[in-house]
Amino acid sequence: MESRNTNKMKISSPLTILFLLFLLQQTLLSAMADIQLIKNTCKGTPSPDLCLKILLAEPKSQNADLTGLALIGVDAVNNKGLEILKQIVDLKKSRPELRPALDQCAEVYHAVVEADVPSSRDALRGGMPKFAEDGMADSAVEAQVCERRFGEHGHASPMTGSNNVMHDAANVVRAIIRMLL
Amino acid sequence: MASSSDLENPNASSALPYSYTPLPDGEQTAEPAVVLHPKKAVAILVCAFLSVGFLVALIGNSGPLLPKNLNTNVAPSTVATPAKTTPLSRGVDKGVSEKAFRPKLGADNSFPWSSNMLDWQRTGFHFQPEKNWMNDPNGPVFYKGWYHLFYQYHPDAPVWGKIVWGHAVSKDLINWRHLPIAMETDEWYDEQGVWTGSATILPDGQLVVLYTGSTNESVQVQNLAYPADPNDPLLINWVKYPGNPVLVPPPGIDDKDFRDPTTAWKTPEGKWRITIGSKINKTGISLVYDTVDFKTFELLDGVLHAVPGTGMWECVDFYPISKQAENGLDTSVDGPGVKHIVKASMDDDRHDYYAIGTYDAYKGKWTPDNPTLDVGIGLRYDYGIYYASKTFYDQNKNRRVLWSWIKETDTEASDISKGWASLMGVPRTILLDKKTKSNIIQWPVEEITALRTDATVFKKLVLEAGALVPLNLPAASQLDIVAEFELDEATVQRLNGADVAYDCAQNGGAATRGALGPFGLSVLAHDGLVEHTPVYFYVAKAVDGSLKTFFCADQSRSSTATDVDKSIYGNIVPVLKGEKLSMRILVDHSIVESFAQEGRTCITSRVYPTKAIYNNARMFLFNNATAATVTASVNVWQMKSADI
Repeated sequence: MESRNTNKMKISSPLTILFLLFLLQQTLLSAMADIQLIKNTCKGTPSPDLCLKILLAEPKSQNADLTGLALIGVDAVNNKGLEILKQIVDLKKSRPELRPALDQCAEVYHAVVEADVPSSRDALRGGMPKFAEDGMADSAVEAQVCERRFGEHGHASPMTGSNNVMHDAANVVRAIIRMLL
Repeated sequence: MASSSDLENPNASSALPYSYTPLPDGEQTAEPAVVLHPKKAVAILVCAFLSVGFLVALIGNSGPLLPKNLNTNVAPSTVATPAKTTPLSRGVDKGVSEKAFRPKLGADNSFPWSSNMLDWQRTGFHFQPEKNWMNDPNGPVFYKGWYHLFYQYHPDAPVWGKIVWGHAVSKDLINWRHLPIAMETDEWYDEQGVWTGSATILPDGQLVVLYTGSTNESVQVQNLAYPADPNDPLLINWVKYPGNPVLVPPPGIDDKDFRDPTTAWKTPEGKWRITIGSKINKTGISLVYDTVDFKTFELLDGVLHAVPGTGMWECVDFYPISKQAENGLDTSVDGPGVKHIVKASMDDDRHDYYAIGTYDAYKGKWTPDNPTLDVGIGLRYDYGIYYASKTFYDQNKNRRVLWSWIKETDTEASDISKGWASLMGVPRTILLDKKTKSNIIQWPVEEITALRTDATVFKKLVLEAGALVPLNLPAASQLDIVAEFELDEATVQRLNGADVAYDCAQNGGAATRGALGPFGLSVLAHDGLVEHTPVYFYVAKAVDGSLKTFFCADQSRSSTATDVDKSIYGNIVPVLKGEKLSMRILVDHSIVESFAQEGRTCITSRVYPTKAIYNNARMFLFNNATAATVTASVNVWQMKSADI
């Protein structure tokens, strides 16, 4: 068996171990730095806990800059919008008496998903964040519009939770985008 | 009323769904157990301690990694019950509180936007494309007998997106002929958008355009373009200079903070000079470049001007105004009889600010006359919705003309239903106010009066405190109104002043009564004032007897709809001794443009009534002051529609 000392490069050599530890340290440092960015970003939003939930749920947030975090936020708004549109389809079947308000909710959430979200994505990627802010501000308003429609038709809203989450999430993302201005 | 058991618990777990991919397992080293040499063990321990030391240091020193000014003016979230939800406007301005409009619930108020209501919103004489989205005006110019207007246009949807240059021409700035798209996103250097730019006419009559392109990698660069056929007065086809981009972000300037080149002006050395807005951290700046051929540029040291805390300067404009004359000046004019305006659109608060100052052509620097009213912190062109504006020198009529983008303040859902979003404001001439010398005056171009038809005149109507007078008009959706008001002197003299601050946005609008105001006109009004939009003066007398006059436009009751902006806009307007209070209002469906004291203070509003439309639109004269009588004279012209 060869003596360990004559091998040129082995995992167990001191230089290699030093190097691996250095890499580990750097990875830990950079991961800590990115979590710090996420934490600081969320502190500047109206719902820091919701912000953390949204951002930490997406692993890519660990390596994202502020624009990347904003895009993750817009994705979350999009996903929620799609979920709400499905919820509306189901409610139309289970609560047909709410159809008029539900139709109006579908209209406003289609605006969120088909106009506000794509526009916000283009704006963030293209370096014109103010239009992304407008898109998220509008999304928050659309959620309130949907919620209000039930009362205007004399009914209680079956979607208050969803509308609130959309409203709050859109405002969180709006706040993140404002940090880019 | 809804019972709480019918409402979902807002704190329930309807969390956002997210794509969840588990974090990778911590990697195990492939190394089997190794017996370590003692020296290696020490080396490893040292490294381990170093690592731990670094981590401890990092945790201990974690400070904010973000810039200090985090502008997060976002409306607070509401826990909704139907009766208590408050409507929010899109784009809350800094410091402006939301006005809550409490709808009266009932069958009367449940409405989707009907196509009738939405159709009414299209204007009669304001520039707008047939459909989809518009924003900044670009390259306005008078060339070979035609006024040209280019504009940021998204052809695919009534929302911002990949932008191209729309194009239209006019003989009179009022009637327009729409032309094909002038420039598309067909080069790598403008693949993400053909953004804002300006035109320069060279002394030999040549026309060049500099515009910002957002490249395939979202870097903001400046590009040169010129007419394919300079003899075509309609300038239909355009050529992009093969050597584009001619400017890329300089060192120290972020790739995304470099846009909107101005019209060029001549330097004392005979070169051309432009300025481009940017920012460094939160200081808004304007970079200066010289060129002889619009192809290669030299960045001057320093900046034209900078103002800390104002953020990114978009759509910078720089131009001379005459101290004495009543005409506009070519952008290259300079001399002792001239002041210079620096204007910028503030990305942070979406308002256009300007300041009057002195330009040093040799140094390429500008200084404001009044640093407390500097760019971004002082005067605004307009106290309502008005952004990304740009002037040009109209050599046809020797005037400086201002264009501006007027966005919607309704929801995107409404914009999609109606199929369009955004207008241009009516073009305005700009002059130095020769009386105050500390502000400009803006006035709708004279050509607009060609649309005036039937006039209704009301002479010296005496309005007691609390008066509300319906004005009998044939129609009230397209109007040009000029009105004069006089407060009764006796009351003004007799009144004890008070040092109470007044602010159009904060003081509750036209319903809040003071001794000497508010009084004015209520446009787009419905019988019974279920909907109305008051435009008014509010005069405040201070303890020392001096008077301050405010000019406001109040949208808080403009519509029974709950998904439109209900803000109140306005500002102080200077009123000199002996002047009557005067206002001019252009009503054009969903846009109302108001001018006080010949254009010293201007307010553009977007208004979306559901009832005060078509034959049901009315106008009222009112005096909501508690003490003073007001005498009013009003000329109201019906306005024809233009070709837009």
